Amino acid sequence: MSEELHARVAEKLEEVGPSVALALEIKIDNYFDVVRGLIDDFASKKGLITVYVTASVPASTLNGALQALEVNTNGLMFVDCVSHSLMGSIQRTDNTVFVESPTMLENIVLKIEYFSRIAEGRKMLVVIDSINSFAMSNDNKILSEFMVVLMTSLKAKEAYPVVLTIPDQLKPEAKEMLTMVCDLIVPLS
Amino acid sequence: MAKSGERDRCVTGIDGLDNILGGGIPRSNIVLVAGACGTGKTTLAFEFLVRGSLMGESGLLISTVESQDKLVSNIPHFIFFNDKMLVKGQVAIMELEHLLESANLSPSKMDEAAVKKLVSAIGKTVAASKVKRLVIDSIDTILGEIKDEALNALLLSDLSIILYKNECTALLVTSEETCKTIEGRVADGIIMMGNHERRGDLLRTMQVIKMKATSHSRSKYVIDLTPAGVLVTPILKGGS
Repeated sequence: MSEELHARVAEKLEEVGPSVALALEIKIDNYFDVVRGLIDDFASKKGLITVYVTASVPASTLNGALQALEVNTNGLMFVDCVSHSLMGSIQRTDNTVFVESPTMLENIVLKIEYFSRIAEGRKMLVVIDSINSFAMSNDNKILSEFMVVLMTSLKAKEAYPVVLTIPDQLKPEAKEMLTMVCDLIVPLS
Repeated sequence: MAKSGERDRCVTGIDGLDNILGGGIPRSNIVLVAGACGTGKTTLAFEFLVRGSLMGESGLLISTVESQDKLVSNIPHFIFFNDKMLVKGQVAIMELEHLLESANLSPSKMDEAAVKKLVSAIGKTVAASKVKRLVIDSIDTILGEIKDEALNALLLSDLSIILYKNECTALLVTSEETCKTIEGRVADGIIMMGNHERRGDLLRTMQVIKMKATSHSRSKYVIDLTPAGVLVTPILKGGS
């Protein structure tokens, strides 16, 4: 079942192609299957770099978990919006940049732009993990504006923008915003 | 290539800024880069020189406060910057002290004659090395030594004439206060660097307040100082 799921994620991305803002409705239980599908089955095989924007779990934790699951983390870059606010020691690595808070939305746009610059023309898969976490920290108006700016910019770069969402835990106004901003919402149950 | 009737542009090479300016700074303009400490003025100005060097335009930075080594070490190490640019003189850094010495000037005696002599010394250096991009960081040190508004205006207007003749575009790094005085009126352009506080977060910002000879955006943008250069994005308003 889980093998099917990560393969399905990759198939879906292949099917929709670049410059399509895709929201993936996930469940906590299938989170790592979905991430494996995005990174291993899709981005690695296509030679894309993955820019993983995390507002849920510190990049170091996520990176460690992915390595333990033997997910190919070459070409994986993190925009970590969590670690600073935890006030712990920050593990600085070449593939991670930090944003002080998930409320510094413009800085997230700029960090993605930074990775795009150093990628030197390689196409990108950009994962927003998750809209639930961003909705907890941000007002819906500014979050909507951020999503519009980000999606427009990523589409112009012919990137693959993917927004992870846990629908059961999402505020109705955030759900409505996602419907407006994303071209396609795919339930993965 | 400039459209007919338009001033030729000095493409800064900083994409976001060039977009704001509609293609770059009108060539030979004197632009004040103003703002508080830590807002990215020096980084922006240094990138302007490095990008110019990559486009074949020689740059000169006159440092009035820091030594070359300290200045370079304080700037993010741009991935497109190579130390050879300094060695080969494509980006030259000169300390003000050396410039004053070479012109037999003393910072404590900056009268009208000394101001003219200083401008002439800058002009000679610009002409001799075919400098197309000049940065003075910060101009406040020089203006502070002069201590006279009329002489400060004279310095900038004479500098403007000399740079125009040499087709040299200049960024003068300065404080926010200077823009409000006569220098702000004499300069061709003002780029204001600042901070925007939102719910306890401090974002670095950039705003082009004035730029002669071009129409430009007057909105505020958020910037980030990265090894890939100064990156720019519109500030989010969020209904506020």
